[in-house]
Amino acid sequence: MSLKSLTKAWEPMSYGFLDASAKREIRRKMLKAIAVPGCQIPYASREVPMARGWGTGGLQISCTLLNPKTTIKVIDQGADDSVNAASIRRFLAGVSGAPTTTDTLKADLIQSRHRIPEEILREDQVLVLQVPNPEPLRPVQPNMSIARQMHADADYGRMWLQLYEQIVRSGRVMQGASYPSLVNGRFVMTPSPIPRWDVPKMHMAKHLTILSAGREKRLHAVPPFTKVEPLVFDDVPYKVEDHGAHVCTRSGAKGYFMNEIPQDDGPSTFEVSDSELGVKSIHRADGEAVQIGETWYKNGEMTE
Amino acid sequence: MAYVATRGGERAIEQSQRLFKAEMGAITPERVAETRRAMPYLVDRVMGEASLYDEDLAALALAQTGGELYETILLLRSWRTTQPRLAVADPVTQEGLFTHRRISAAFKDIPGGQLLGPTLDYAHRILATEVLTGTPHVPTLVTPAPHPAPAQQPSVAAWQAENDLLNLPNPDTTAGNDIPDVTREPLLFPAKRAHTLQSLARAETGGVLALGYAAQRGYGQAHPTVNELRLAEAEINVTHPRGTKFSAGRVKISQAEVVSKKGSQLELGFAATMGWNEVKVIAAATLDLNSAGAPKGSATEEEFYLYHTEGVESSGFCIHFKLPHYVTFQSSLDAMRDAKAKQAEPAE
Repeated sequence: MSLKSLTKAWEPMSYGFLDASAKREIRRKMLKAIAVPGCQIPYASREVPMARGWGTGGLQISCTLLNPKTTIKVIDQGADDSVNAASIRRFLAGVSGAPTTTDTLKADLIQSRHRIPEEILREDQVLVLQVPNPEPLRPVQPNMSIARQMHADADYGRMWLQLYEQIVRSGRVMQGASYPSLVNGRFVMTPSPIPRWDVPKMHMAKHLTILSAGREKRLHAVPPFTKVEPLVFDDVPYKVEDHGAHVCTRSGAKGYFMNEIPQDDGPSTFEVSDSELGVKSIHRADGEAVQIGETWYKNGEMTE
Repeated sequence: MAYVATRGGERAIEQSQRLFKAEMGAITPERVAETRRAMPYLVDRVMGEASLYDEDLAALALAQTGGELYETILLLRSWRTTQPRLAVADPVTQEGLFTHRRISAAFKDIPGGQLLGPTLDYAHRILATEVLTGTPHVPTLVTPAPHPAPAQQPSVAAWQAENDLLNLPNPDTTAGNDIPDVTREPLLFPAKRAHTLQSLARAETGGVLALGYAAQRGYGQAHPTVNELRLAEAEINVTHPRGTKFSAGRVKISQAEVVSKKGSQLELGFAATMGWNEVKVIAAATLDLNSAGAPKGSATEEEFYLYHTEGVESSGFCIHFKLPHYVTFQSSLDAMRDAKAKQAEPAE
């Protein structure tokens, strides 16, 4: 046996872009994150050929997880054809040879920015969420090292106070997206800037969610069948966006999270934010046989 | 099908890149060579911020990005991060540097001598407009000094330590692969000394200047005196797997020592970077000088200045606001409208 027979030919780029040592570190940190749900795990976060803040955290996770048989779906704001989603999908496919899809049901790995698809994810699927700011305590404590200590002490008093002050001032919790949530009864995490509509989808979900912030060099995870509870007071229930009654003007889909489209002549129309669900609904309306999976929301209400 | 017709993402980004590149024309080896030759200080700055010492790659990255500096650095950093760490060089010592320029503002003369070296410090900054009308600006030849200064010089701080003016920190004896590497592990606080110096070395020049200037202007407690500013070349000595030592070449480096009076002793701030970039090392050394005991959240606190001078991160985040945010915006609008409706309700 010669040394040459054991080595691979030199290639200008590693499979999946990241070198083996970078992937090994990310795998270890992902395992740690899964073992301590919701806890932010620091990682080296290598530079990747995209600008920080453009999904580099999610990209490193996807690059580490994928293999030539992984079917990838990439969405931004719920849409597969958003320019940055298109760019990330092209990169992931290019560095791995993995097939891509827009169909949530056919995807093994879904990298997303700001949305969780409306169709229920399965045990065999992994959701990778891009995270701009992994620290839910940032609004009350911008210093990362102090915030880290607060998590260690489960010192979330200022977080609760902030929510209480919003209710006193505005009559409701004013948090829009990124609603802070307690994971497994221990760590408060940001679910990433997904709308409030999507947070309940994480609670006791069948799929694994990895949330990764490349610029801030932190990742955290929500393992399957883990409690994710938005921070709420007993007498002020959690409230998702009031989109349940909106109808998509293009596809006729109803009861999902919508994009609001302002109109020249007055108010707004709505389009379903999960673009592939919209496409499927159009095909179905045209009489084509399409498979639409079970959705978390039915008639605008979250199912248990 | 209306929905499908809007799916132009892939085509749109392809054309937008063509538009950007069309303005620059062909990138040739000649252009790269000319960029390297004509812009040594820009190449130096780029190599420092990329923490990758290769003049050809730096010039290529500049040519490829049309001088969009944040893009230049990102290009080099993402190339660099995929390269294996083959070896760790011997420590570079101040005394061992091949010194081109060495000045001290602390003393009129210093052991080893002041060495002015290449600088525009005393030049009158007059734009050579005659070049545009056909009169080339040809540099006058340098007249060599009758007695060349010694190439190797001690540090001013070493003299101050000998004379009981300054406590030098204990030398860090960590060697080889045990040296913490901020490009291979996360930066955590309180930061390891190696991580702090590495982060400052690769920090964005403008960012370091902004925060260093804030400290110099009065938002820091310590007023810096430039103990020593040095532009030099460092020999990179590496041990071959067979055991023989060899030089892998020389790299240009800049370093600054700044001091400030603290009680009966001088306090030392230090920074170094690859390439010749004086503004950066003076500003960075000022931040280092002011760092000890700085209040949390102040510009001179280590966590504050290291996070906010990281150019790839800061520029990336800044431009990411161009990305669509209509989901988060919609979520906020919903909360606003609901709050407004609640306020309009008659009180019970």
